[in-house]
Amino acid sequence: MTTANALDTTIAVVTPENISFEYQLAGPFRRLPAYLIDVATRWAVILSIGLFLMLMGAFTGFSSIGPFLLATGFVVYFVISWFYGTFLETYFNGRTVGKWACGLRVICVDGRPIDGTQAVLRNLVRVADIAPYAALTSFIEDVGPMFWVPTGMIGFVSVICTKRMQRLGDLAAGTMVVVDEKSWRLPVTKIEDPRVPALASYIPGDYRITRSMARTLAVYCERRAYLTPARRREIAMHLTTPLIKKFEFRPDVDPDLLMVALYHATFLADVRVESASLGSLGGASPLLRDTQRAPAAGNAADPTTGSLLDHQTPVVATVVSDAEEIMPLVNMVNKEVNER
Amino acid sequence: MNIAMILEKRQQQWVELEQFCDDLELTGKNRKTGAAGISRFATLYRAACADLALSDAYQLPPATVTYLHRLVARAHNRLYRASRIDPTTWADTLLRKAPQQIFADPCVRVASLLFFGLFTLAAFLGANDQWFPDFVSQLVGQAQLDQLEAMYDQPVSGSLDHYITMAGFYIMHNTGIGLKCFSFGILIIPCLFELVFNAVSLGAMFGYMARESSSGGDNFLHFVTAHGPFELTAIALAGGAGLRFGIGLFHTNGLTRRHSLRESARRAVPIMAASAALFFLAAFTEGFISPSPLPYIFKATWAILSAALISFYFVVLGFPNDQRQVERRDAESVLDPLAEQWDVINAT
Repeated sequence: MTTANALDTTIAVVTPENISFEYQLAGPFRRLPAYLIDVATRWAVILSIGLFLMLMGAFTGFSSIGPFLLATGFVVYFVISWFYGTFLETYFNGRTVGKWACGLRVICVDGRPIDGTQAVLRNLVRVADIAPYAALTSFIEDVGPMFWVPTGMIGFVSVICTKRMQRLGDLAAGTMVVVDEKSWRLPVTKIEDPRVPALASYIPGDYRITRSMARTLAVYCERRAYLTPARRREIAMHLTTPLIKKFEFRPDVDPDLLMVALYHATFLADVRVESASLGSLGGASPLLRDTQRAPAAGNAADPTTGSLLDHQTPVVATVVSDAEEIMPLVNMVNKEVNER
Repeated sequence: MNIAMILEKRQQQWVELEQFCDDLELTGKNRKTGAAGISRFATLYRAACADLALSDAYQLPPATVTYLHRLVARAHNRLYRASRIDPTTWADTLLRKAPQQIFADPCVRVASLLFFGLFTLAAFLGANDQWFPDFVSQLVGQAQLDQLEAMYDQPVSGSLDHYITMAGFYIMHNTGIGLKCFSFGILIIPCLFELVFNAVSLGAMFGYMARESSSGGDNFLHFVTAHGPFELTAIALAGGAGLRFGIGLFHTNGLTRRHSLRESARRAVPIMAASAALFFLAAFTEGFISPSPLPYIFKATWAILSAALISFYFVVLGFPNDQRQVERRDAESVLDPLAEQWDVINAT
């Protein structure tokens, strides 16, 4: 069972384990290089077998065994040119040499592996997919450059017009081509800035982070590495301004820092540890009621004091991930703001 | 429990599962650990599935969820593998499914009628040199006709070397045309064009060579008689298979267009398999018997026998013998694994 997203190129598959996971569909420009590699491989195999047969004929005396070799050559050419993809896709679990090189795989539209009949069908119908063979220029002289490469137009149009990016062969066989990448790193979370746990310890204990808020925080922290500090503050401000009021923090707390601190409190902090070691930041409190006291208690000469409010030093935190942008960040933050 | 601890705990198993995926990449066999490894792999896969299912409850970060999607997809592809082509089912496809399908399929009837009707018509027009003297030369061109006549000027004879090579060539060339005709069936019009073009040009040439005035007519008949039944039927069948394939696009039987196309493609495959088998038989006949200097009576007998064989195949094997029994057998073969599963569930 699958459901396709209207605007995305991912497709959800429900497995026998009753789990729904997502595949990324392969578009025409991922599939073209794979196909070209396949064409090259096919010809390389045919030519090497042909060369082998010729050498065999030359060594054994061409006159007696020649016709057999020639007939074998014809049959080999026929079988390889028509059934190359069929054989590889059934034997190597939906992959040809080109698909293997480009990280693609053919599967059923319902997520199961393909069977023999499907492999036969989708590879036979390729003939119809790469039609028309002849360029329009061979009939009419004066046509624009966009008509110079007409082959594969039927398959191309079919791929861009169908929801699962299927060419005609895929439609007939009920298959689709998905991206099956080899390496995919687990996202690494590293927050080294000492100000983050310090600020996190001031977040009231009764503040509950909702599910969508957790998602927004995670996406923000994954994406913030690609933004300038000014832009980070600008985006984060929408969400943090009401929070600063709610937490009774000083209004000049860095919004970006607060977002990272919330992320830390949600995903990383160990709740059993009562309070983080505040170190030299111990005196610096972001609370509004401490505003009057802070300068008196703190040491003005200590450079780290008051750094919670420092808008100039960027927060050092990395959340590295390979994930593509799941949802435009700004939209997500605004949606979260509206929900409150 | 917080996310960092959950991730730390689960990560070891995920990495282990990734390593298993790498090992199982090509053949589905784990050379290092064997059966125990497969069992361990399945356990890890189920655990990863469970993690993915609970990812929302754990409030895992989206990037981790994406990672889990990829991991589960990868493991899924290693666990459920494409079934290899099983040659033991070919006999069933060729001897049971194909004739049943051909006998019952209106598309095959239409294609055969079209092909043989146009073939006969073109042959008649081509043979009649009083009413339509220029029909053939206008259709296929005078140059090709001269070439055809020159080819059959000499009585047919050949050596063994020649036979083998030609058999190989005919397998490649003619079966290729049949397969092309089938796959163009999805666009219907190119398939029909191929079918009609072959019918008319072959018919016209047959008719032309049958004229009293044309030279080499006897040699031509000597050559084409033996493989005619196989080859002409194969072309008609390929067209029929293509038509059955393409007709699913608009004759949907209440299915969605997509499902209907898929269904009709599945039904067309046995017909195409039968057609390819006939092309192979035709190629061997054309390679070994047709160019040989055997007496004409032998070749004519061969043609009659092959026609009888085809009729037996279509009618006797294809006659709908108790349709319900066949359907039940098909249904049972689908339900067998389910029944086994049910027994297992009941037993435990």
